[in-house]
Amino acid sequence: MAEQPSHAASHDHDHKPHGWRRWVYATNHKDIGTMYLILACTMFFIGGGMAMLIRLELFKPGLQFFDPQFFNSMTTMHALIMIFGAVMPAWTGLANWMVPMQVGAPDMALPRLNNFSFWILPFAFTLLLSSLFVPGGAPAGGWTMYPPLVLQTGASFPMLVFSVHLMGASSILGAINIVVTIMNMRAPGMTLLRMPLFVWTWLITAYLLIAVMPVLAGAVTMLLTDHFFGTTFFTAAGGGDPVMFQHIFWFFGHPEVYILILPAFGIISEVIPTFSRKPLFGYEAMVYAVASIAFLSFIVWAHHMFTVGMPLAAQLFFMLSTMLIAVPTGVKVFNWTATMWKGSLSFEPPMLFALAFLFLFSIGGFSGLMLAIVPADYQYQDTYFVVAHFHYVLVPGSIFGIMAGVYYWLPKWTGRMYDLKLATWHFWLSAIFVNVLFFPQHFLGLAGMPRRIPDYAVQFTDWNMVSSIGAFGFGLAQFLFPYIIWKCVRGGQPIGNKAWEGAHGLEWELPSPPPYHSWTTPPSDAVIARGAAH
Amino acid sequence: MHSHTSTPDAAPHEAERRRRVRRSALLFALIAAGFYFGFILMALVRGWK
Repeated sequence: MAEQPSHAASHDHDHKPHGWRRWVYATNHKDIGTMYLILACTMFFIGGGMAMLIRLELFKPGLQFFDPQFFNSMTTMHALIMIFGAVMPAWTGLANWMVPMQVGAPDMALPRLNNFSFWILPFAFTLLLSSLFVPGGAPAGGWTMYPPLVLQTGASFPMLVFSVHLMGASSILGAINIVVTIMNMRAPGMTLLRMPLFVWTWLITAYLLIAVMPVLAGAVTMLLTDHFFGTTFFTAAGGGDPVMFQHIFWFFGHPEVYILILPAFGIISEVIPTFSRKPLFGYEAMVYAVASIAFLSFIVWAHHMFTVGMPLAAQLFFMLSTMLIAVPTGVKVFNWTATMWKGSLSFEPPMLFALAFLFLFSIGGFSGLMLAIVPADYQYQDTYFVVAHFHYVLVPGSIFGIMAGVYYWLPKWTGRMYDLKLATWHFWLSAIFVNVLFFPQHFLGLAGMPRRIPDYAVQFTDWNMVSSIGAFGFGLAQFLFPYIIWKCVRGGQPIGNKAWEGAHGLEWELPSPPPYHSWTTPPSDAVIARGAAH
Repeated sequence: MHSHTSTPDAAPHEAERRRRVRRSALLFALIAAGFYFGFILMALVRGWK
């Protein structure tokens, strides 16, 4: 701690702005990180509310509460809000808070750009959500926005396209900032292979974002010109090709899946060693595995389109390349397990969420392998099996990864310990209900229930009821999360620099909470070496 | 970067770092723009065949 002033002294020199200016004109990475996390939490509850409406309608067969158009709007908006509004901003918020502190930098490389990247988002989501109130209702053609269906959207179509452009611009600018920060702002001695895994996974995620978000923007620009300017990129009648949209969309869409999950790999790689009191097993193999997964994510996109029709050679290529992803993913799961082997394990909330991630994300991975088998995919395509698969990847995968990260670093951010008992309750309720919610959807899909429908045949009733009960339980349990954070901020037990006995990394060398401007003097090589104990 | 972090000895290093930050940010912005216009161009070329 020789490099940092004492806790009290550092607060005397914070010079932080006060009132609304602190947030509107924010250039401090911690303030911007906090705003991203608050936005993500808000969107999580809005998107979650839509999920509750979907499960309410599906509790029984027949049309109970909503007309089919509104139901389709809910499925479309739920996906857009959760992907672009909850998970991606949560990762960017965590990156803003942690990356500069973990690499020994005083702030992000481009602080004003950081402010701009954040403040685009509230406008993007206001625009998207306000489409619920225009004639014709919100977009209802699915988050994949396939033409020609999406071109039938009413007045909300340009709102959808513009909000997707804004979200994309925010993500690209944020990703550029993170890459530039990691490449240029590391403290002397913080070599690439000394960086924490969370920083590594975010570096690779940022490269993915820079490569694929512009592709989505290009696709929706072409939709816009098809709709308003008479072009026929995706209109067969004018010589265009609607299937080309699907290829372009999924060239973005599959790497997007890894954008949503790779930072979770980083967090799990921080949490498991801490609560196993052992260094991470196979650090370098973990880095190469993440890089391999990112590379492979660019050459598997057409596995989302097997039933569209493609040559046999293409089917084989996309099937085998998809299965190849299981190899680096298997390396990661093996290394996390090996890290715990003969470790001195304890089960605080971040570790519980990390362990649930390990088991449940693997279930999502296995069902992904099943979907990669072309002849089997012909049966599974557009059924609830697909819904179960990607929700196992995204809820106990990405969302539990975010929960693990927040519960891991919250004491560092606030300088206070949260209510561990309540957070353990939050974990168990979430872990039980997430399985009640999504596991029966495998059975529904295998029995042939199609996705994106407000009504279904009566033989699907029982498992739909179970799934809806799971949804309501899971949704209610999430209200514990903001309450635990609020309670911690208001009056948790003060803690020292290290919240967790086994924690390593530069962030734990700083006081808790860290000073407004941390690492104004770069950490020494000895401090960096102590932090990089992998 | 906060000015009070720089020492007289660190100033040339700091200026070089600012240059590198600017250069790499522009490079990545160009790559992103390349993907955006590249895919639209690809769709146009495909339509003309």
